[in-house]
Amino acid sequence: MKSFLYILMGGWFLCSPILSHASLIQEKECSECHRVSKDDTEKSGPDLFYSGNKFQASWLKQYLQNPITIRSAGSTGDPDFLKGIQANSQKHPAVSKKDAEQITKELMALTLYDLPEEVNLLEPLTKGLKAKIKYQFERTFSCISCHQSLNLAGKVRGGISGPSLVNAGNRLQARWAASWLKSPKTFSNKSRMPVYKMEDEERLQLTQFLMTMKNENKR
Amino acid sequence: MKKSSPKFILNYCIFLIALGITGCGEKTSEKTPAPKPPLKAESHSPAPLAEATQEPVVVTEKTRKTYQWYCAQCHGIQGKGDGINAKFLTVPPRNHTKAKYLETRTDEQFFEAIKFGGLSVGRAPCMPAWGNTLSDSTIHELVRYIRELCQCEAL
Repeated sequence: MKSFLYILMGGWFLCSPILSHASLIQEKECSECHRVSKDDTEKSGPDLFYSGNKFQASWLKQYLQNPITIRSAGSTGDPDFLKGIQANSQKHPAVSKKDAEQITKELMALTLYDLPEEVNLLEPLTKGLKAKIKYQFERTFSCISCHQSLNLAGKVRGGISGPSLVNAGNRLQARWAASWLKSPKTFSNKSRMPVYKMEDEERLQLTQFLMTMKNENKR
Repeated sequence: MKKSSPKFILNYCIFLIALGITGCGEKTSEKTPAPKPPLKAESHSPAPLAEATQEPVVVTEKTRKTYQWYCAQCHGIQGKGDGINAKFLTVPPRNHTKAKYLETRTDEQFFEAIKFGGLSVGRAPCMPAWGNTLSDSTIHELVRYIRELCQCEAL
């Protein structure tokens, strides 16, 4: 019994430094605009309760210090969303490098569940396959109508109602993108994106294609 | 006569394919012609007309909200084809308030365009398929709503 108490106390001492830092998300009032827990009420900003599944830590760290616009028209839940770029020009606050590192750590700990590791997700695409998937991206699934993305010449093209995919390869985790395409409702009920039913192979290839979109490939 | 090498044929095919690929976001100086009607996918089922004829389809507040949530991104708040994505698309989204074109289309064609996407009715690929997102009855309501917006019926 005594040893059990020691273990408990030891655990508390070990965890207390973590707990004392665990509040930076709260301190910065992220939950004013974002859902940081699945049980939170609807918020205007993108959900963060599955950040650890969705984002790449390196991108988060950079974004928090130097926020850039991902949704030119604002968040889908904004009342002025349909009015265009100017209506939702609120900029995300920037934080220091130290805070960005801490918040990233906290955000990366927010996960829904272990997403499936799907086969061949990151195998490089051949040129021919890339051209085929680009065709599907634009014509079969019409993704480009709502998402800015890079064409084969590295030029930015596409609509603005969805988040920009220009830097998707650095921003998103491939596993999350594949899971989102399979079952978006698992993550969000407030998306304006159509639900797709694609073959697994098609879905994973599309994910691979998305992951090739990176700022450094922009021309 | 010298035979064409497989490499040449392959390059030629790639060139032809490249010519055919012009997405919705690719601004070109020439006006993009309307795509040819594709072969219908086998999974396409005919628009359930019976449902439409059994009970009159009524446009409700929910229908308008659905239009605002999904369709207005491209077709605009008032359906004038001026949604926030409109200027980024090669083929402009349909103006749902103009009867001139819409009265030449049947309700079934509207239904198919919404359910299976623009290409399914020989129109622009920018319009995605909403059949996995919206129920048939919601799509029938949207068809009615578009008829309300254009104040027109099929001729």
